[in-house]
Amino acid sequence: MKSFNDVETLNNNESIIDEKVLERKEAEKIVLVGTPNVGKSVLFNRLTKSYVTVSNYPGTTVEVSRGKGIIGNKEYEIIDTPGMYSFMCITEEEKVTKRLLFKEKPDAVIHVIDAKNLERMLPLTFQLIESELPVLLVLNIMDEARRLGLKIDVRKLEEKLGIPVISTTAALNEGIDTLKERIDKYVNRV
Amino acid sequence: MSIGSDTIYDDTIENAIKGIEASLEKDYIISKRALSLLLLQEDEDSLEEIKEREKENYLKIISIVEETKNKYERPLTFVISSYRQKYAKTLTDNVMVKTETNKKSFSETLDKIMLNPITGVPIALLVLYFGLYKFVGQFGAGVIVDFLEGNIFEAYINPWINNILNDYVSWEWLRTLIGGDYGIITLGIRYAIAIVLPIVGTFFFVFSIIEDSGYLPRLAMLVDRLFKKIGLNGRAVIPMVLGFGCDTMATMVSRTLETERERIISTLLLALAIPCSAQLGVILSLLSGEPKALLVWLIFIVVVFLFIGYLAAKVLPGEEPLFYMEMPPLRLPKLSNVLVKTYTRMEWYFAEVLPLFILISVFIWFGNIIGIFSVLVNIFRPFVTAIGLPEEVSEIFLFGFFRRDYGAAGLFDLVKGGILSARQLVVASATLTLFVPCVAQFVMMIKERGLKTAIYIAAFVFVFSFFAGYALNWILITTGALV
Repeated sequence: MKSFNDVETLNNNESIIDEKVLERKEAEKIVLVGTPNVGKSVLFNRLTKSYVTVSNYPGTTVEVSRGKGIIGNKEYEIIDTPGMYSFMCITEEEKVTKRLLFKEKPDAVIHVIDAKNLERMLPLTFQLIESELPVLLVLNIMDEARRLGLKIDVRKLEEKLGIPVISTTAALNEGIDTLKERIDKYVNRV
Repeated sequence: MSIGSDTIYDDTIENAIKGIEASLEKDYIISKRALSLLLLQEDEDSLEEIKEREKENYLKIISIVEETKNKYERPLTFVISSYRQKYAKTLTDNVMVKTETNKKSFSETLDKIMLNPITGVPIALLVLYFGLYKFVGQFGAGVIVDFLEGNIFEAYINPWINNILNDYVSWEWLRTLIGGDYGIITLGIRYAIAIVLPIVGTFFFVFSIIEDSGYLPRLAMLVDRLFKKIGLNGRAVIPMVLGFGCDTMATMVSRTLETERERIISTLLLALAIPCSAQLGVILSLLSGEPKALLVWLIFIVVVFLFIGYLAAKVLPGEEPLFYMEMPPLRLPKLSNVLVKTYTRMEWYFAEVLPLFILISVFIWFGNIIGIFSVLVNIFRPFVTAIGLPEEVSEIFLFGFFRRDYGAAGLFDLVKGGILSARQLVVASATLTLFVPCVAQFVMMIKERGLKTAIYIAAFVFVFSFFAGYALNWILITTGALV
């Protein structure tokens, strides 16, 4: 709940604090997490101006990449992480991601999943919600899900989970604007 | 707090969570509930943190964990994740509907063909043949290299540089630093641009297409059983295939493997038996004129790979890893992504390579002047002649230590001079393929596996490559397979 409180105090005191002081504060952090090969890196490239290697096999990202991106009218630090299946880590890269989540106090955690495999990927969403991290769920690769004839009731899922849920096809730039709007609203909620 | 209004776990676990939550007195970044769940599953990091911070309550927490553990037959990790999966299923059934599509897709059929060993193995061989041999070996290392080498460097740049040096520079040391046999431009930059650039570029291009298509995980499934024999599993396909591009990059990627044992075995195999694209390209184009020589080299490397992998798996203790990998769908690669990726990989490679090549030229130049170079070459000489090769090859082995491709590229020069017989060419290529990893790879080995392991591996590779070269030479002479 810590990060939540930080945001609140910040908003309450906004009028008192000189704006320059606010600017000097570290950029707010958005972390992308999810199992391997769900499109975290594509999304990272969409949200920032930088480029990280993207491919169609699990485990391309073995290191954390950081980039700057503008969402709404604020600049954020956006962090791409190696894939993670669960908080109970097996491989080294998973541990990297877990430590980052637990230490960096992100202002938003975007859990990216492959919409086709919703059922298999939800358990990590549960773990993120249980941890009370500020999580948003992104159902990515929607084009392939549609092609398989899958229909997902995003509103209902949002209601059930109690967190924002957004559907995207990052590779085709679908849903990215909506995602940015929702992130902006979510991070700046009071 | 549970997810929405639903509870996921049973009462026993919920009570255990409440018990642990109550005993956690300090503040944590994640919620106490999540931390309690991790503690119940005996997550090492969390246990350590609690032990340090909660002191008195630590034992109380441990006893709750033990008590809860005893109430279940299965490990708590299993119990907890099955509750989560169950809830995920309920939720998914609630929000997702599948409308039947009766198109049996082409990619599904292709998928089956690729995974069936009878059809899958020939497909894998075809991919390797066209991707590596035809495109990288013949087109990249053949056509493009010949053009850049012959038509650009040897026809224009080298004579031009040497003429300028001869006309305007009176110091011998500066002339040999920039031009001549080992000059920065005539050797270092020529190797980097005319030989290595086309080979690495074509390799990364093919690799990007293969990886974006989703073929790699299928290849992984296919070779899983074979790889188990050498202490690895299908997952290791990615670092191994990537090694054919750049062993340094592949050594870094080997950290995605699950156990330390697998990481060590794959680091060893990458250092020993996987030639990088630059080396492979040069060797393929050298040997492609002699089909028999190419075949001998290929069999030799495959045998060494499997034999050493098998031995390493026997020597290093450890359990066989389970194979589990996400199977991404087959997709048609997007040209723009393939190009951008090829470009960024080449950029990475070049930032790494070009300074090293120049540095090596300078080092060789300097070594030549003060005589260290010839001392080192003299050390290699007895080994080199023992495996039936002419003395000139010694210096190529020295180059090979600086960069694998640099050594192989040197071999290219020698063959053009026509000093090697078919047998000698095979023995030299084979020994050089096995021979010590290049400096960059060695540095990466130290970074990833630690100094001790890296030194052990390098020492083993050094000794083994000459033994293997000796054995190969002996076999070829005794059987008369190649003269």
